[in-house]
Amino acid sequence: MSTLTVSISDMKFSTDPGDVLVTYSLGSCLGVTAYDPKARIGGLIHCLLPSAVGAKERARKKPFMFVNTGVAMMVRILLENGAQKNRLVFKVAGGANMRSNDFFSTGKRNMEALTKLLDRNKVSLAAQAVGGTIPRTMYLYLDTGRVVVKSLGKESEL
Amino acid sequence: MNRREEILDIVSKVVALPSCVGKASSLLENNVEDFAKLARIIEHDPGLTANLLKMVNASAIARRHPIQTTRDALCWLEAPDILQFVISTGLAPTYVRTIDGYDQSPGMYLQQSVAVAIAACKLGKALGVSFPAYTYTAALLAGVGKLVLGTYVKVDMHRLMSKVLEENLPFDKAEDAVLGINHAEIGEFLLKRWGLPPEITDVVRYHLRPDDYAGESLVLDLVHVGNLLAKLIGVGLGADGLNYDLSTNSIERLGVTPEIADRVSAEVVTELGGLWDLFVECVDRVCVL
Repeated sequence: MSTLTVSISDMKFSTDPGDVLVTYSLGSCLGVTAYDPKARIGGLIHCLLPSAVGAKERARKKPFMFVNTGVAMMVRILLENGAQKNRLVFKVAGGANMRSNDFFSTGKRNMEALTKLLDRNKVSLAAQAVGGTIPRTMYLYLDTGRVVVKSLGKESEL
Repeated sequence: MNRREEILDIVSKVVALPSCVGKASSLLENNVEDFAKLARIIEHDPGLTANLLKMVNASAIARRHPIQTTRDALCWLEAPDILQFVISTGLAPTYVRTIDGYDQSPGMYLQQSVAVAIAACKLGKALGVSFPAYTYTAALLAGVGKLVLGTYVKVDMHRLMSKVLEENLPFDKAEDAVLGINHAEIGEFLLKRWGLPPEITDVVRYHLRPDDYAGESLVLDLVHVGNLLAKLIGVGLGADGLNYDLSTNSIERLGVTPEIADRVSAEVVTELGGLWDLFVECVDRVCVL
């Protein structure tokens, strides 16, 4: 069994049922998992910002930095490695915002970008743990597709 | 003695901050063949930076010209034996107490501090303003009070977070309510005792509440917004999360827009990517905390 750590603006996937994908310190960033329960393949992405619009060069170098380019690329990679689009189960965590001020609202904008992308592709989220002001750590267990979110010392299954 | 006085008494006895000394020490053993490498390690480590500035500012010459940056400090210290002393002050102080609270491993604290420092400077560059070199140092040391609290004082994080979540208080106000003091004030108290210049200690004191500062300071505004951007990015985020207030006055003075903030965030993440080797070394077993 391996634990694969996904850093900011990164994505990892695995077909090994013994693997666990994890991303730490989700603040306003979004952690998105996609898992095919039949093919037992799954990916986890950690997106910093909502959209690559206005940052095309950066998006070319770091496509996983952005929700709109990153999630689409993660799905494409999963499909290329045996997943089927209609079987993919999507879950999301993170998207926190600074308390009492929506000036940056990065978390909210990240979630809006994801919702827009999924709606356009007629895909719905199976579960989510987003918003608020707390940091989150997200795990994807490749054996079952179980997603666990840890925050402030407490774990809960999504 | 109340809780605040107890904490200040403990902080007044802190002679050195924990830091990641393993790599720096090994470079010294090689007679500082690569001075640039050594400077790189020290300037990204809040503990080593604070210890170094404490020492150089204690000298008579430096008192007339306060040293504000790591690079300037290293220029004063040409003899390897003096530098050895500075770095050895980061080695296991015998009075280190159990860490209880703040939920930040040494590596995470280091990452968060560096992210704040990079964010403050990248923000200044993105805004096209001319900011002094000590902006990086001030930003790196902004959260040093949290390091002191987490290391030398038993902090009940559960009680702090209850105040935050149930009474809707920002984290520093929760610290005030529970501890009688917040980590920004503790950082200022320690660094002032160590003789660091007011340009830095004022930023440390007011970086969470720039509106309380009498006057205006570009560095303070950059560090305030840079600190919050680093928290939004999330790297090294502790249990305090995003429970801080943003000063709209700082935002307006700087002229920050969400677009600029996004660009700066992306640049910070990219630059942090080039520093992972330092972070990996820090979380290794040689890191003292």
